[in-house]
Amino acid sequence: MKTVVVTSGKGGVGKTTTSASICTGLALRGFKTAVIDFDVGLRNLDLIMGCERRVVYDLINVVNKEANLHQALIKDKHCDNLFVLPASQTRDKDALTEEGVEEVLKGLEHQGFDYVVCDSPAGIERGAVLALTFADEAIVVTNPEVSSIRDSDRILGILQSKSRRAKEGREPVKEHLLVSRYSPKRVEEGEMLSYKDVQELLRVPLIGVIPESEIVLQASNQGTPAIHLTGSDVAEAYLDVVARFLGEERELRFVSYEKPSLLKRIFGGA
Amino acid sequence: MQGSRNATKAIEFKSGTFSATTAIIRDTNAMHLADAMHALLGGRPDFFAGEPAILDFSQLQKLPERVDWPGLTSLLRRYRLQPVVVRHLPESLADSARKAGLAVLHGDESLKTVAPPPAPQTKAAPVEPPAAAPAPSIPSTPKGSMLLDRPLRSGQQVYARGADLVIIGGVSNGAEVIADGSIHCYGPLRGRAIAGAVGDNSARIFTTALGAELVSIAGVFRTFEKGLPEAVAGKPAQIRLVNEANTQQIRLDPLVLS
Repeated sequence: MKTVVVTSGKGGVGKTTTSASICTGLALRGFKTAVIDFDVGLRNLDLIMGCERRVVYDLINVVNKEANLHQALIKDKHCDNLFVLPASQTRDKDALTEEGVEEVLKGLEHQGFDYVVCDSPAGIERGAVLALTFADEAIVVTNPEVSSIRDSDRILGILQSKSRRAKEGREPVKEHLLVSRYSPKRVEEGEMLSYKDVQELLRVPLIGVIPESEIVLQASNQGTPAIHLTGSDVAEAYLDVVARFLGEERELRFVSYEKPSLLKRIFGGA
Repeated sequence: MQGSRNATKAIEFKSGTFSATTAIIRDTNAMHLADAMHALLGGRPDFFAGEPAILDFSQLQKLPERVDWPGLTSLLRRYRLQPVVVRHLPESLADSARKAGLAVLHGDESLKTVAPPPAPQTKAAPVEPPAAAPAPSIPSTPKGSMLLDRPLRSGQQVYARGADLVIIGGVSNGAEVIADGSIHCYGPLRGRAIAGAVGDNSARIFTTALGAELVSIAGVFRTFEKGLPEAVAGKPAQIRLVNEANTQQIRLDPLVLS
């Protein structure tokens, strides 16, 4: 079993959107996948996954042994081999312990899961640290702006020092950079850092670039992971990310801006 | 620990020496000092790791009527420096220092340190070599080097005590590297780099791509609010301390790697 943390440091950059799409993408590829919401106290993932009405037990209940994994895991409405473990909305983040999380992950491994995606809360506090503690791989979601880059850098440092792999001196956590909310037009106009700038600053291999799109809001309102919105830029970009994550080569798309042609301008966009 | 055989003895006295940091205080105004220390140490609360300190007043710029000892000591303690002794303190202030719980040493000439020329940008230089150091111009040879073979990320800090620091992978903005000797950075150096941290003014900083927020050698520092000089920005560079017009200045030179 592989544990993947989706993290960023900064809030609002697209961690939960990314977690939802990546776990869905892995499940669509046939892997038995679980996604865990570590944002204890806020609880967003179940909304994005569209299973908020089916939440009975949560991660804290499992950690405290008030429910077993089987009871708490919610089967996704789109994929048979995808399960959601929601966060608790009523407890605070201190209810989460390292031993508790370790036990939950062991339980998932025992149940034959291939991947566990940990959706990290923002910040660098307990919840965020626990989400990355057991990670084998990390997807660091970064917006092309300096504060997000700085926070991602910080979280990469924490990954190097606080993860189990680092503490036990094993091979370090494999890091991936995901640039999200990217607007090639604004990059072209010099208003936004390019993905190359971001990568140059963070020096982590790029796993993909997700374009800024209204589709994301639409998807979260519907409770459908964006990757399901077939044909949209965002869904295609996430499919590419999942493919690259599984080791396939994919060319980078949606990163260059083409000025609308004269015909398009006259007759309106397609 | 050795006293365990004599467990009946409640106290024992032994003579010994220990090293302490000397803080040469040129201005006793706690506000000015706080600003200077913040500029020098970047407001990091644990720079000194609880070391004992000698407060040296031999270079006071003007004789103050009174000194805010509680303010002064708590400021130093905020950086985890423990003031224990004052020396070269004008007689008029000695009583107040004793009342504040500090031991007062009188003009013991053998202890006198030759202070380096004052750092141009700072009013106070709290970091000085221990009392025994004869002249600051003699480079204290670092004992070796510390190697770091991963990038240093924002919020991380590394201190090579008594050694050079070699970093492979670069230093991010918001990270900090400190060495008592020189700093060699293979990769972009973007955070803060502090070489010669205990006063070695022959220490240098080398990098394959300069993008530092602050560089400091032996307490003399330079920030780059308006950006780095074009000749060195993002390029291989060497940073050292030079004497110009009787003041020590940070000099940035492109490093030609051919």
